Amino acid sequence: MKNLLKLTGAAALLFLGTSCSEEFLEKEPTEFLTTDQIAEAAELNPAVVRGTLTGIYSLMIETGTGGTTNHDDFGQKGYDIYGDMLSGDMALSVSTYGWYRADITEFVAPTDFTRQRNYMVWRYYYRIIRSTNTVIDALGGNDAVPELEENKYIMGQAKAIRAHSYFYLTQYFTEDYDPAAEILPIYDDLQDQNGPKVATSEIFNLIESDLNDAITLLDGFNRTGKNEVNKYVAQGILAYVKGYKQEWQAVYDLTQSVITEGGFQIMTAEEVVRMRHDGPDTTPYGGGFNDLSTPGWMWGIDLTTDTGLGLVSWWGQVDYFSYSYAAVGDSKAIDSGLYDQIPADDVRKNQFRVAPGTSTHLMPINKFFAPERVPFGQNPMVTDYVFMRVAEMYLLHAEAAAQLGRYDEARDALDELLSKRLADSSSYLAGISDEGLLDEIYLQTRIELWGEGKSYLALKRFRETVVRGDNHLSFVGVPIPYNDDRLTFEIPESEIQNNPFIDSQND
Amino acid sequence: MKRKLSGILTLLLVLVVQIAFAQETKTVTGTVVDDQGLPLPGVNVLLKGTSTGTQTDFGGNYTITASPQDVLVFSYVGFQTTDRLVGAQDVINVTLKTDAAELEEVVVVGYGTATRQSFAGTATTIDAENLEVKSYSNVSQALAGEVAGVNVINTSGQPGTASTIRIRGFGSVNGNREPLYVVDGVPYSGSINAINPADIKTTTILKDATATAIYGSRGANGVILITTKRGSAYGEDFIEVDVKTGVNSQMIPRYDVITSPEAYIPLVWEGLYNRGVIENRADPIAYANTNLFSDNVVPAGYNMWNATAAELIDPETRMVRDGVTRIYDPERYEDLAFDSAIRTEANVRFGGGDEKTSYYTSFGYLNDDGYSINTGYDRYTTRLNVSSQVKEWIEVGANIGYAYSESLQNGQIVGSENVFEFADKMAPIFPVFLRDDEGNLVPDPVFGGFQYDYGGASGFRARPNANNLNPIGSAYYDFDGTNRHELNGNFSFDITITEELTFESTYGAQYYTWRNKNFTNPFYGGGTATGGDLFEWEREVLVQNFLQLLRYKNDFGDHSLEVLAAHESNEFERSESTVWKGLAVSPFIYELNNFVENLQPPTGFTEGRALESIFGQINYDYLDKYFLTGSVRRDGSSRFVNDKWGTFGSVGGAWVVSNEDFLSNNELATFLKLKASYGITGDEGDFAGDADFYRGYDTFNLGLLAGGISISPRDNGNPDLTWETSRMFQTGVEFSLGTFLDGSIDYYVKNTDNLIFDRRVGPSQGIAIITVNDGELRNTGLEFNLTGHIFNTPDFKLNVNVNGEILDNEIVTMPLEPSTGEPRILDTSNAPFAYSKGRSIFDFYTREWAGVDPATGAPLWYQYFDDINDNGIFDTGDTAIGEMTPYLTDNPEANVERRVTSTYASATNKYVGKSAIPDVRGGIRIGGSWKNLNFSTQWIYSLGGYAIDYQYGELMSDRFGAAGNNFHTDIFDRWQRPGDITNVPRLADGFDQTATSGSTRFLTSTDYLSLNNALVGYTVSENVLGNTGLDYVNIFVSGDNLFVKTARDGFLPNTSETGNSGRRLYAPLTTITAGVRVKF
Repeated sequence: MKNLLKLTGAAALLFLGTSCSEEFLEKEPTEFLTTDQIAEAAELNPAVVRGTLTGIYSLMIETGTGGTTNHDDFGQKGYDIYGDMLSGDMALSVSTYGWYRADITEFVAPTDFTRQRNYMVWRYYYRIIRSTNTVIDALGGNDAVPELEENKYIMGQAKAIRAHSYFYLTQYFTEDYDPAAEILPIYDDLQDQNGPKVATSEIFNLIESDLNDAITLLDGFNRTGKNEVNKYVAQGILAYVKGYKQEWQAVYDLTQSVITEGGFQIMTAEEVVRMRHDGPDTTPYGGGFNDLSTPGWMWGIDLTTDTGLGLVSWWGQVDYFSYSYAAVGDSKAIDSGLYDQIPADDVRKNQFRVAPGTSTHLMPINKFFAPERVPFGQNPMVTDYVFMRVAEMYLLHAEAAAQLGRYDEARDALDELLSKRLADSSSYLAGISDEGLLDEIYLQTRIELWGEGKSYLALKRFRETVVRGDNHLSFVGVPIPYNDDRLTFEIPESEIQNNPFIDSQND
Repeated sequence: MKRKLSGILTLLLVLVVQIAFAQETKTVTGTVVDDQGLPLPGVNVLLKGTSTGTQTDFGGNYTITASPQDVLVFSYVGFQTTDRLVGAQDVINVTLKTDAAELEEVVVVGYGTATRQSFAGTATTIDAENLEVKSYSNVSQALAGEVAGVNVINTSGQPGTASTIRIRGFGSVNGNREPLYVVDGVPYSGSINAINPADIKTTTILKDATATAIYGSRGANGVILITTKRGSAYGEDFIEVDVKTGVNSQMIPRYDVITSPEAYIPLVWEGLYNRGVIENRADPIAYANTNLFSDNVVPAGYNMWNATAAELIDPETRMVRDGVTRIYDPERYEDLAFDSAIRTEANVRFGGGDEKTSYYTSFGYLNDDGYSINTGYDRYTTRLNVSSQVKEWIEVGANIGYAYSESLQNGQIVGSENVFEFADKMAPIFPVFLRDDEGNLVPDPVFGGFQYDYGGASGFRARPNANNLNPIGSAYYDFDGTNRHELNGNFSFDITITEELTFESTYGAQYYTWRNKNFTNPFYGGGTATGGDLFEWEREVLVQNFLQLLRYKNDFGDHSLEVLAAHESNEFERSESTVWKGLAVSPFIYELNNFVENLQPPTGFTEGRALESIFGQINYDYLDKYFLTGSVRRDGSSRFVNDKWGTFGSVGGAWVVSNEDFLSNNELATFLKLKASYGITGDEGDFAGDADFYRGYDTFNLGLLAGGISISPRDNGNPDLTWETSRMFQTGVEFSLGTFLDGSIDYYVKNTDNLIFDRRVGPSQGIAIITVNDGELRNTGLEFNLTGHIFNTPDFKLNVNVNGEILDNEIVTMPLEPSTGEPRILDTSNAPFAYSKGRSIFDFYTREWAGVDPATGAPLWYQYFDDINDNGIFDTGDTAIGEMTPYLTDNPEANVERRVTSTYASATNKYVGKSAIPDVRGGIRIGGSWKNLNFSTQWIYSLGGYAIDYQYGELMSDRFGAAGNNFHTDIFDRWQRPGDITNVPRLADGFDQTATSGSTRFLTSTDYLSLNNALVGYTVSENVLGNTGLDYVNIFVSGDNLFVKTARDGFLPNTSETGNSGRRLYAPLTTITAGVRVKF
């Protein structure tokens, strides 16, 4: 009997001993990591610290960041398409799968706050803002100036991206610049709970102070990749902000700084379009808008197989030579009216396919394409994303100069660009009057930056009117002014329902 | 069946047969049979008042020496004990009647066993017979309709699918609602498919807190106890074989969609025409004619008629003109995708043993092909169950099951390339096979035969719906299959320390690996971009469960007592990895080396959770009349960060009134038991997603960007998250009236607080949801189970069983809104339902549909407003109401009126007075026998609930051109001309985008009645079997899912928890099988 008890006791201990330790109830993930796991790794690997900032750039291209599984939910470039379509410059000329149809192209979402597209835009930019707040918080908060160089640069980038997101929110959710109007809730601290809308001026104060801080903090920052915001990118963002506020001297100075100090070169004709060859070898060459290392690109993301983007991506929507909706019946084409305005000898005229009566008519097959050029070919997507080019700085500089009445300077800045697009840009520009110069700059902005998400910003900055060409499926020829309700999104139903402090739309 | 019970009795065989001495002793012989005339082996035959007796042999025969004044007592578990005076008889044949309430039946509950009579909780054991006749690969599907309060949701007809089971309503808002499976005493986290139903001896469902609290955190949503078969411990070795084969087919009707191209094409034309009218085009008829056959509507190449648009459609009648001829006849996807398939199942079981050791082993084979092409499930199972009394003081057992299965689920991609989606929703003008410009089929140079129509990729024409895809091509040329190796088992040893005290220890484990291969061919469809690709994922799971238990059991006169104390730990670990490669060398080899390009970096991770518990239980019984039970349990979970431990427990009592003197020998109330229990159970949240194991942590995704590490925010966690707690009170009665009626009725109230609640946040905060413990939910329910024995003669028996549940659900307290510090008024995150105080979590909260404007055909909704100036109309000074519930909270005196609006966004969201929870639902079984013929039908029913029929909504959608989808035939009722009174809006080429947005428009009754199973069987009589060596032969024909009556063909409320048929639904198979069961 005694033996039996001993045996039992031993067995019991054996089994109890297998689990009764403190660690048994501690389980940590490996698919993704917790804050503690990252902190632990960061102690041994400094690259982890920078990784948390790089993560914000990842968020900018991740799918589902608008809170849905929609195939147009893939971050900044997704909302660039919204802007290009709202401004009318990108036409959905054939629609099979239905993405963008109605909600964007027929303005259903911008006039109905229950539609999911409103939520996506709102959710995405505020998600980015929260992630920047996390980084800023970790570095000591809004007013802290980190001592370590490395941390200063991280702080500068986080502030620049926060400003970038708030700026896009003002663009997409307000019809016009009205400093007194209460437009958006503001969050600049990780602990902030849902709050009320605050005045435009307060939003812009934050945007501008963030960008000014960023420009200071990033001084001397030698970035390792063009995904990172450096001083010049921050200046570029601020130039857009100032332009929207019509503060032209600031735009003039900021763009001047980027142009003279940034070291970027305007993309050459060979770089912007697939060229026809005149020599004995007639194989076309050049173009593609698919490589971040292009000297004219200031800011973008280098996509690789490891980035893991496929169909749900900008390329998956726009590029005929990718595994894309564009290749199977959702054609994204240049507005036919805009195409007609491209001068005949402009190399950019060749960026678009001319094949009337087919689904590929006016598609940008010689501007954006995967280099293999196999229809429905590229998957996964390894061609890159462009966020900002130096050409934008020249165009903004020309715009600011013209607004300031310095027409010759404006022409010079424009000529820097057009001399690489037109055979004889000087005589072309000579034919444009001072009064007509701003219209010309607006036109050149739309042509040069077609499909890059900048037309919508230009529309609002130039306070122009959309008139769609005949390759749109709806609203052809209907004038729609820049401050029309149909061109801005609604505060989503989910915000109205779940934020007790917001119960109205912006006017 | 009855014979299998003989195993239990073999223990009693150790009784030494003594021949009593008396005057005039004689030899009495006889046969004991059951009420179906089958011989009963192992029946105890005792001389009353002595321990002298014998047992019947395998033929039910006995021989005993007795005096004329002796009384013979015949007893057998599950049967009424019968006395016979010997008198002058030498032959005494006895028919034992089934014990109506099966009071002495042993039920496995918690960490021990109880008899049905003594059990204070509610446990329902389902007859293995009732489950065995159903042709399912696992027990979960077979449970439908068997037990009151158990809702079985058959989510897919894909063979090998496990059903979703809900016991007693909806216990949580965002927490777990899954019941716990326990197999042979070990919590089971494996696949239920790994357990061959033919190996299952009993299935018991535990519903109330007394029964489930002992399982602590994991029992809160009910427990399904499965006991596998064992050998008998005395010499009765047996072989059982059953074989059945049959046909799987689609007998349950699909949605009634348009199948004729000539019926469909005018609708497209009419949409264009109406759009032309709305856009004030000069000549809408010309506009429609010009655009009908164009790229954005129907590409010209899909004009299958010898006619232009103008020649085809008569603008007056809006129908195809007489005399128009076709160029070709398009095939329908439904016709080519679905066909009857064969189901074959065979099982063989061996068992036996001696007084020390028993064994059971089995082998099963199942080949179950679905009616959708290239879908099916093949499985091989085997089980070995051995136990042995090694020494007097130690019994050791091992029970191991292994299953290997291959499932094939081609054509069911979540996306446009899905056979079920195409079957209903592809417009009938689009053929399955490609046509050239003359309408001829196009030979397929790759696979032979003719090319499927993939739209634009063919080079002929783009198709405006799902261009570049063809699910039938995909179902044939691609591959989506999963192979599974699944092991489950346990090793146990019980040590008898003293007669009263035992130590029991069990190590249980489930281990499985699943490997899925998803191949896309390089020639047609999506794989052309990758040169053919193979996506492979592998999942490996190990669940380990250790139990150590000390049990004390003793009788003190009329009192008996059982006490146990135990420790248990459970660890779940799951690893997953994926690889995706492209550029296939051979299109026939689905192995990674055959693909030469990486399409994504490989992924891999491990996740899991651990649970640790200490618990104890006391069971007390006085005079077999009064029963008390109590348990307490403390659980710790790794899923919580700061607050891991929770304490749970229960008390319960039962009073067997019919054992009291005043009811003894009562003819009417032959059995009556009253019971009540109260218990606290916990829940740790669901396992729906990978993130659910780590809800307590802020988490980050890892990636590579610009050559460096990138760490981006993923989910926001809540480290204070802890146990959700339920307090359940139940009272019930079990009774038998004479021999005519058996029944039980239970009533319960279950309050769940500290709800695991996904609280919505205004998304401007940068997050959308915070998971908190907050709020309180109440479920109340009444469950009944009544069995009437309508006829009960030796030749003819007829029993009718009706069970059902009536349940109610209410949010008692809403979670706090942190930005105001007050309880939230309304949470709409689960649209079309909303959460608010006093409402059920399944009350519909949406916009109200107001029909169609007779003048324009536009859709209408109701807008409610506060008629402040009380003039009955909405004008200046009145306030439009967007959200009714918050508005009424702020303005309780509001003068609410409504008006019609054609702007969806202006319509008011409100509770519409309907709920997804039915008034009553349950099952009905009618069964019986006539001589050697047995039969049964089982029905399930539900009354009083509602769901939104989204699939019908899609089929009623007005989309752009022909790009959208096919229509339900109800589209023929659409508005066409001013003055038309109808509930179906105009077709206007997608103009009315909000016509199908969330509203009451498609709210549909979920009432249903279905014939879940019907069976006819014949047992070959012993006379015929004679000396064939066979003990038992039964042949049968059985049918599953034979008939469903719902509000609308194709709408199957029983396929989802909230009653709406899902997209791409593989509707449940109808299976008709014939089989034979033989016992040697």
